[in-house]
Amino acid sequence: MTDTHATPPPVSDAIRSARFRKERETSWKRLDALVVEAEKRGVRNMSYQDTLALPSLYRQAMNSLSVARAISLDQALLAYLEALCARAYLVIYAPQESVRDALVKLFTQYIPQAVRNSALALAIGFLAMALGAFTGYMLFFDDPSWFYSFVPSGLSDGRTPEASASYLRSTLFDDNPRAHEMLGAFAAQLFSHNTQIAILIFALGIFVSLPSFALTFYNGLVLGAFFAMFAKAGLGYELFGWLSIHGVTELSAICIACAGGAQLGLAVLMPGQLTRRAALRARGRDAVCLVILAALMLIAAAFIEGFLRQTVQSTELRLAIGWGIGLGWLAWLILAGRSGDGSGTGGPA
Amino acid sequence: MSINSAQTGAAQSQSPQSQATQSQTAQAQTNTTEPAPVRGTTVNKSQGGRRLENYLPPEGVPIAFDISGGGARLGAQLLDILITFGGVILLLFLLLWSNLLGWSAFLILLSLLFFFVRVPYYVLSELVWNGRTLGKRLVKIRVISADGTRLTPYQITARNLMKEIEVFTPIAMIFSVPDKPGYATALLMLWVVVVLLVPFFNKRRQRLGDMIAGTLVVDQPLTLLLPDLAQTATETRAKPRYLFDPSHLGIYGRFELQTLEQILRSPPQSPEQRNNVSSVTKTILTKIDYPETVNPNDQWRFLTDFYTAQREFLESRQLFGDARENKFHDVAKTAKTGADARFTPPK
Repeated sequence: MTDTHATPPPVSDAIRSARFRKERETSWKRLDALVVEAEKRGVRNMSYQDTLALPSLYRQAMNSLSVARAISLDQALLAYLEALCARAYLVIYAPQESVRDALVKLFTQYIPQAVRNSALALAIGFLAMALGAFTGYMLFFDDPSWFYSFVPSGLSDGRTPEASASYLRSTLFDDNPRAHEMLGAFAAQLFSHNTQIAILIFALGIFVSLPSFALTFYNGLVLGAFFAMFAKAGLGYELFGWLSIHGVTELSAICIACAGGAQLGLAVLMPGQLTRRAALRARGRDAVCLVILAALMLIAAAFIEGFLRQTVQSTELRLAIGWGIGLGWLAWLILAGRSGDGSGTGGPA
Repeated sequence: MSINSAQTGAAQSQSPQSQATQSQTAQAQTNTTEPAPVRGTTVNKSQGGRRLENYLPPEGVPIAFDISGGGARLGAQLLDILITFGGVILLLFLLLWSNLLGWSAFLILLSLLFFFVRVPYYVLSELVWNGRTLGKRLVKIRVISADGTRLTPYQITARNLMKEIEVFTPIAMIFSVPDKPGYATALLMLWVVVVLLVPFFNKRRQRLGDMIAGTLVVDQPLTLLLPDLAQTATETRAKPRYLFDPSHLGIYGRFELQTLEQILRSPPQSPEQRNNVSSVTKTILTKIDYPETVNPNDQWRFLTDFYTAQREFLESRQLFGDARENKFHDVAKTAKTGADARFTPPK
């Protein structure tokens, strides 16, 4: 107090940073309130004035933060502004797509584009299945006892090489009333079983696609052995119809899941100019779209299997429905999402 | 100072503030000279938790987030499971009790609902609520994009699909597939344990799915504005009782000022706390060699006045380019020039 060199006593608000804060505090508080409201109710439900004010208040707060870092040593202020800006940032830069937009884009663009981008992976997927089926078929004709090593007992349900042709026929053209009752439930249960397999096939693809290939190949083996058994009993055409009605969709879904896995595997195996992590991220976009497609097709297949397979009894009709639906998938995947920017990058940017 | 530091290139620990204010300059420099990852975020572990710094929104002002701990994430996940499965089971009991649906329709609904509460629930809720499921909302954590851009539906789908693959499917397989060999169970368990440990072995605490999707989980920032101590001091009193000259104020730096700020935020209640305040006061008096004596009753007043004067002094020094990090600022400047280097020079 006796010191004559003392700093002059503060006038109204001596400290620059305190003045800075006092001048802007109301607009920060307003932004804070708006952000809380936007988090609770969503920006869409806010009034026009508030929505308009939000981005400009956000930019002001960002500006304040930048200035405060240069001029203020008030820890409370800095912590508050950092938190406020971070929180407002998350509201301002929220995902812009509504769920509906995202779904529409997914179906009209991302999935078809991803499929068209994944020619090599799809070739791997379908090749795995075809090779498996061919091998299974040939092996069965070589020695029917192979059947027991391929097909799990739960799946065959008495349909073994020893079964009579009439029994095999009855499994294809079944009008057992008990079955009708449980069809829907059976379909739903089958769907979750198949989804698990598809997810497994996809996930294991990350190990340079080999496990995906092997699992799909195995599925093909079962299919081939099954087909050979019915063909031997002279029921090849009927089985083809029985399988076609849902199998076109279901087996394609398995192959597509395998292709998704192969995309991951290819990213690890052949990353090109990218690092493996970046390649995984880049190809992951297509892979995710393929898995969503596979899941959709499995849902569809489960419904077809549950409701149509045993109610439609004519082989010709079964063939027509099965391959007709298959053509529908193909048309969608080939034709959709070609207009517009036409970049065909697949997956949202 | 920056020229000095650029010449010597001594990289020392940096304060968050100086790092943040300088990052744009550093960005401009690195852009022209080397293809360094400009937008790279850094993780600061100094204040207990992990803080993600230099997160750069399009506005160009770096902001920071606290990376969520394992406990909060596990809690949110368990809450989500509880909410979704609890909700579904409750709904099913209601349906059974009201007997609206036939048995097979009921079974269809059951499998569809149990499918929905796995991947689709997480994707939809994170999409609608911007990275927050119900569980995350309760625990106050959220998903953000790791590179400063907005979350895309692809990122959300990818990370949740991977969660299904990483954790849920293996666990479901452990329990659901009946007659599998013992080594398969062991392998699955090993897989789950390894996958759950992955976040603890990278600095951003990312799951495998987070890595593929380019996302991470942070705490919801808590906006709490404490009063300005300098402001309240000048509002309550017209004039400070204790005055300081530059020789008193040139001792301490930012660190000591902000430590004093923390002390001043909680006025002493117990005798023990009063003792602490008095020892702080005595330390400061000795250190700055203050000519007056301070009564025990006036110690709080003295500290408040000292805080205000010290802050004004340091802030004006900072405006002139003399940012003082702590009480060693003199030593740092004379002994080894450029000890507070802010960025390493371009090669």
